[in-house]
Amino acid sequence: MLRFIGKRLWDGGLTLAALITLTFFVMRLAPGGPFSKSRKISPEVLANIQKTYHLDEPVWMQFVRYVKGLLTFDLGPSTRFRDYDVGGIIASGLPWSVTIGIWAIIVASLVGIALGVAGAMRRNSPTDYAAGIVGIVGVAVPIFVIGPLMQVIFALRLGWVPVGGIEGGWRALVLPILVLALPNIAYISRLTRSSMIETLRENYVRTARAKGIGERRVVWGHVLKGTLLPVIAYLGPATAAIITGSILIETIFALPGIGRHFVDAALNRDYPLVMGITLLYGALLILLNIVTDLIRAWIDPRLRNGR
Amino acid sequence: MPSTPMTADALLSVRDLRVTFRLPQAEIRAVDGVSFDLNRGEVLGIVGESGSGKSQILFALMGLLAGNGRTAGEAMFGGRNLLALSPRELDRVRGSEMSIVFQDPMTALNPYKRVGDQLAEGLIVHRGLSRDAAWKEAVAMLDRVRIPDPVARAKAYPHQFSGGMRQRVMIAMALLMKPAILLADEPTTALDVTIQAQVLDLIAELARETGTAVILVTHDLGVVARACDRVLVLYGGQVMEEAAIDTLFDRPRHPYTQGLLEAMPRLEGEETARLGTIPGTPSARRGPGCPFAPRCDRSIAICSQEAPMLLTNGSHRIACHVEGADAAA
Ligand SMILES: Nc1ncnc2c1ncn2[C@@H]1O[C@H](COP(=O)(O)OP(=O)(O)OP(=O)(O)O)[C@@H](O)[C@H]1O
Ligand SMILES: [Mg+2]
Repeated sequence: MLRFIGKRLWDGGLTLAALITLTFFVMRLAPGGPFSKSRKISPEVLANIQKTYHLDEPVWMQFVRYVKGLLTFDLGPSTRFRDYDVGGIIASGLPWSVTIGIWAIIVASLVGIALGVAGAMRRNSPTDYAAGIVGIVGVAVPIFVIGPLMQVIFALRLGWVPVGGIEGGWRALVLPILVLALPNIAYISRLTRSSMIETLRENYVRTARAKGIGERRVVWGHVLKGTLLPVIAYLGPATAAIITGSILIETIFALPGIGRHFVDAALNRDYPLVMGITLLYGALLILLNIVTDLIRAWIDPRLRNGR
Repeated sequence: MPSTPMTADALLSVRDLRVTFRLPQAEIRAVDGVSFDLNRGEVLGIVGESGSGKSQILFALMGLLAGNGRTAGEAMFGGRNLLALSPRELDRVRGSEMSIVFQDPMTALNPYKRVGDQLAEGLIVHRGLSRDAAWKEAVAMLDRVRIPDPVARAKAYPHQFSGGMRQRVMIAMALLMKPAILLADEPTTALDVTIQAQVLDLIAELARETGTAVILVTHDLGVVARACDRVLVLYGGQVMEEAAIDTLFDRPRHPYTQGLLEAMPRLEGEETARLGTIPGTPSARRGPGCPFAPRCDRSIAICSQEAPMLLTNGSHRIACHVEGADAAA
């Protein structure tokens, strides 16, 4: 098991190194720089600015400087928000995205798994159909429709929660969490349902039934593990994506997360910020994949000896 | 209704058992009016080609039919009709008084649970043992089915066992509760020929020791010859012939049974004899007559019009218009 963990971490580190290199060079090779459009700048000023951001150095020097910085969590200055460094921008936005994202994933997992299990155990029952409808709505109706709709109902009409912003404590986060959770509830419930239906057909479940241990023990002790394996595999990457922010949610609910920064940064060719957020997402994705693999190996002994 | 004498002291009495499966466009009669008795301590063989309904008989008794399956008839065991029990009542019987070994040992064990836990589970639920006590008994049982180093092996997972070893685990699991009846569904077909005999002998030996009666389903007449006291020959979900083992091998009466025996290599002790070498294949669509009539070389007009009754001559039962007449005489 320790060797398994070690190998996963080593693989993860290599992937991260490759990611750092790749993002760096892709950004540098993209045509146009952060200061090439916008206003006309005199050559002297441009040179000066480029010097400040080390854009006058050869690319490989910039790369070395960048990697050195990374090792001390210094992601460099933002080229757009002159007075902020990338680390600071991420640090200010990330907590919001993480809070909303984690809650959304928790809500989505609990509700999604419960709906999926209920549907699989009572196929074609009213519960199953209800879950199916939630599934279709959650997948088919986009966030920018469901978000404003919920704002109108719960904020404007009923006045239970604020429309947006971050005033009002936890209440302000309820709607964004729900809206962010909905597509995941839909997906997770469908995944759970089909996985459980498949697991219920396994021969080992029939063996468990033949032992006369009662349906509850059969489901909790034998069906659940097999059912949850694919769900857990989905949750890892989904969590990475969700906690690095959603531009739509942040725009609709006026939240200061990092999803908006990322889009802004990309539009303004703010290399350090784009790279910072990309790396953050990549690192999270790698880390959560490792966690996912470990949980799956903990459940399924056949996955333990590495692949 | 088949005319079957009720044996008062039979352990299990199955009467007119029917299993039907509902499909979107059709209804499949997998078991079609099967009756038999199982006596204490005996090994009853059920033979028949693939699809003849052997497994479904066992599944019906254990309440393990697929969701679209329905049963009719009666299966009396210890004063209860197994086919009419509530799920809770059924759970008190299965796993403790009656247990089953399945056809495919590779998929019958839970890959996510230690073998010891899977064995101990039944003891914990049925006998209220602590986990430790249950593990001790599980280990002892693994030893009895001759799994080497049982203490360590109990901690292992199913994928760390070979097919033969997994089937031993299944047998241990089935016999752990000292059931009155063991249902064995082709327990050796998935195994290497070399270990088939070992596993079979193990079942027979342990059953004898514990006084457990066995229903041994197989399509291998070699297995029947080796292990059974009495045999039920099944075709198209119906009993064609039933006889003590010697009678069946010496004086088979039903054309189907005769065909089976002719198709079987004459070598004594040969384990590889398989059914299905009779010309033709079992047809799924069935008319009113004898299910075997379309493949029977001795069939007469009435065979395809009317189902033969199961007639009894002593302990020899046979359902055949041609042969049955003198059997009853
Ligand atoms: N869930 C189901 N729905 C429809 N038909 C079924 C279902 N389960 C079994 N059957 C049918 O019931 C019939 C009898 O099946 P059964 O499993 O008892 O055969 P068997 O005699 O055990 O054969 P084998 O030697 O291949 O195991 C088969 O024709 C099979 O197709
Ligand atoms: Mg079968």
